[in-house]
Amino acid sequence: MELADLAVGLLLSSISLSIFTYYTFWVIILPFVDSDHFIHKYFLPQDYAILVPVFAGVTLLSLLSVFIGMVMLKSKKKKA
Amino acid sequence: MKHIVKILSLLLAVSAFWIGLLQAAIIPPGYNTWLLPIYFVVSLGCYGLLMVGLGLMQFPTCPQEALLLQHDIAEAKDFFKHKGVDVGSD
Repeated sequence: MELADLAVGLLLSSISLSIFTYYTFWVIILPFVDSDHFIHKYFLPQDYAILVPVFAGVTLLSLLSVFIGMVMLKSKKKKA
Repeated sequence: MKHIVKILSLLLAVSAFWIGLLQAAIIPPGYNTWLLPIYFVVSLGCYGLLMVGLGLMQFPTCPQEALLLQHDIAEAKDFFKHKGVDVGSD
């Protein structure tokens, strides 16, 4: 068992689990909690619950297309 | 072409189901409509990341086989170099 593999795998799984629990709380549980509960302090206002994933998705898509474009340009330059 | 049609029809069915749910007013009335689909997309991405992490953690390495493979590679390179084939850089 490679230690680096274990460490990276553990990091990825912990990141994904934390994102999942935070987002689940934000979207599903918090609307049913009274608005003067202390837990609302730890969560951003609900409008951000849409903006943040959409923004992240748009960033991811644009980075992917930039990468694909660069690879295509590089291959074309090498052929010419 | 047929694959795209299948995917688009699946998307249409899911959105129709979602609009039907909205009309039936099962969810509380102050709820933003975009929240639940985005939640499913985010959870799908999270699930993929979790599977990748778990697979990374369980990936088996075979150190003895790796060593034997390196020996085989060195032997093959030696053999071909004596025969005059260009084996490239190390």
